[in-house]
Amino acid sequence: MINRAPDKNTPPDPLVKSTGEAAEKPVLQVCDLTLTFNTPRGRAHILEGVGFDLFSKEILALVGETGSGKSVTAKSLLNLIPGNTKEITGRVLFDNKDLLSLSDKELQAIRGGRISMVFQNPKSSINPIFTLGEQIFRLIRLYLPHEIENLKQKKGYSLKQAQEIIAKEKLNEVGLTDIKRMLRLYAGEVSGGMAQRYRIALSLLSSPEILIADEATSALDVTVQAHILKLMKDLCDKKKTAILFITHDLGIAAQICDRVAVMYAGRIVEIAATKKIFKNPLHPYTRGLLNAVPRMGKNVPLSFVPGIIPDLVNPPEGCRFHNRCDHAMDMCRKHKPAPKQVEGNHTVSCFLYQQ
Amino acid sequence: MNDSLIELKQVNTWFPNDNPVFGKPRSWIKAVSDVSLDIIKGECLGLAGESGCGKSTLGRAILRLAPLSSGEIRFMGDDIGKLTGKRLKPYRAKMQMVFQDPKASLNPKMTIFKILSEALVLNSRILKADYLEEAVKLLDLVDLRPEHIYRYPHEFSGGQQQRICIARSLATDPEFIVFDEATSALDVSVQAQVINLMKALQDKLNLTYLFISHDLSIMEHVCTRVAIMYAGQVVEVQNSRSLFDSPRHPYTRALKKAVPIADPESRGELGILKGEVPKLSNPPPGCRFHPRCDYGQPICSKISPEINGITVNSWVRCHFHKKLWDQGELISK
Repeated sequence: MINRAPDKNTPPDPLVKSTGEAAEKPVLQVCDLTLTFNTPRGRAHILEGVGFDLFSKEILALVGETGSGKSVTAKSLLNLIPGNTKEITGRVLFDNKDLLSLSDKELQAIRGGRISMVFQNPKSSINPIFTLGEQIFRLIRLYLPHEIENLKQKKGYSLKQAQEIIAKEKLNEVGLTDIKRMLRLYAGEVSGGMAQRYRIALSLLSSPEILIADEATSALDVTVQAHILKLMKDLCDKKKTAILFITHDLGIAAQICDRVAVMYAGRIVEIAATKKIFKNPLHPYTRGLLNAVPRMGKNVPLSFVPGIIPDLVNPPEGCRFHNRCDHAMDMCRKHKPAPKQVEGNHTVSCFLYQQ
Repeated sequence: MNDSLIELKQVNTWFPNDNPVFGKPRSWIKAVSDVSLDIIKGECLGLAGESGCGKSTLGRAILRLAPLSSGEIRFMGDDIGKLTGKRLKPYRAKMQMVFQDPKASLNPKMTIFKILSEALVLNSRILKADYLEEAVKLLDLVDLRPEHIYRYPHEFSGGQQQRICIARSLATDPEFIVFDEATSALDVSVQAQVINLMKALQDKLNLTYLFISHDLSIMEHVCTRVAIMYAGQVVEVQNSRSLFDSPRHPYTRALKKAVPIADPESRGELGILKGEVPKLSNPPPGCRFHPRCDYGQPICSKISPEINGITVNSWVRCHFHKKLWDQGELISK
């Protein structure tokens, strides 16, 4: 299942892309990712056969309800799921290496460096007992030693001055001002928007190839969110960073993402270009989800998907959505629908489209 | 003004910023300053704004849960701003509140029946012998089944828990309910269910709502009128349709432009508002929005704008709203 982002530089015909050798290689390939772990009530089947490709220079949205496995997917990519009862199978290919088979030490070189993450609550991912300055300086020394050396040798700055200059430049990029004062503050002394911008600046220090944003703007106000979304979009356009944007807000997906993957109960049910999925959603769950979104300027009664998400300790047989689906057939109760490519870059896992 | 259920006149809610052992506090956090607003019977008034703008404090102040520093609150014509203790109690039953986190507002050690009967005690219409019957009726109102009554809160999903909270708020036959971010913690599909339920209940029981939320796109679905708050002041009130079609205050416009719309066809630049939300302990002089406003003039930093009426029950707090409106700047830009 090769899905490609609409790219301005290549011809827009989707058929050419999916078949030709011109199809560029994804930076991250996730195949058949399955995760289970023990809970007091039994073994929970959290993820089941999750697969997607992430290309450079694209923003892929991973949307779904609470408990559908969005964050867990992101965390298992970097083997960040805690606990010794977990079992991850499948492959996560990055730079011809399977991240799941790497040792902790090898992974550590990639985590935060070539693949970095931004989490929902900025203040809980900043150390409260060090100043913001100390933390960014440490990362600058780790990731940008050449720039420090450059400044030291060419302009005769001390290490401290060099760090401050680099920090200033990097924090300016994310729209922060009055940095000299800010570097002396602690995490508790800045607002949520500032903290999140600072966090993003930290995660960009290493010029990552992939940025995983896990509900990075969900705790922020719309005005601050707008700023951060613009920042991410620019980053993707200018630095060619691939962004995996996990969100439950379909508005964000519609506004900045190139492709959207919809998750339900530990599976990706549909994945397509943003415009396509909003215009022509195929999976019954995607349709239900889109109809439940309140939209400005369209005052129609909101519809919703009846029922609640299934218990993952004891998930429904066959298609996990069948007990909430209007179109459920006998087949859906027995068999699991495989992902099927219906068009160039539109894949859906549903028996309605399996002919 | 006989049709207003609640009238607020120059309501101020200030909290002490420091707490000296002797004497008065030297500085105050002015969470709500000088808010005058009418809530009309049978309407759903939305209250929107960024976090920390005082919208929750205003909601709590109306219910007398937050201190009232000065001003007047009238509920059905009676001044309840200065009442305390026993004299306030009958009004408490008429005004209810539903909070953001349903799990945190339901006692985990009580069954649903116990939770509901605790509230039914306040209802003088109902005898103790009828509590069970009434509780089942309440559950039925919120589309829950009678067999749920002996379960505990953790056995329900988030949406169901929020419906239990709504059922509890209805137990005292209220006239007025404040929903403080009541749907923000829920998923879109669950949120849609709760909102449809709220609307149905409003029609059925003739309720008046104050719906506090930071989510503008939901306001239009729920509310008849929307008030926008900024830094402790209400800056604009309009009926929800015209507020979203033709926002008058520059802040409303900025807020509206920052909301990502769930439609890739209308993809545009998200509006970016410069600067940060001011500190409520020391808000900017004059119009509180002027340091962030694109249309700021010298007068804005000196004189606080008065309330300028647009039509009945809608007004805006801006010196230049008329000029900007006539020039079409607020629409085109």
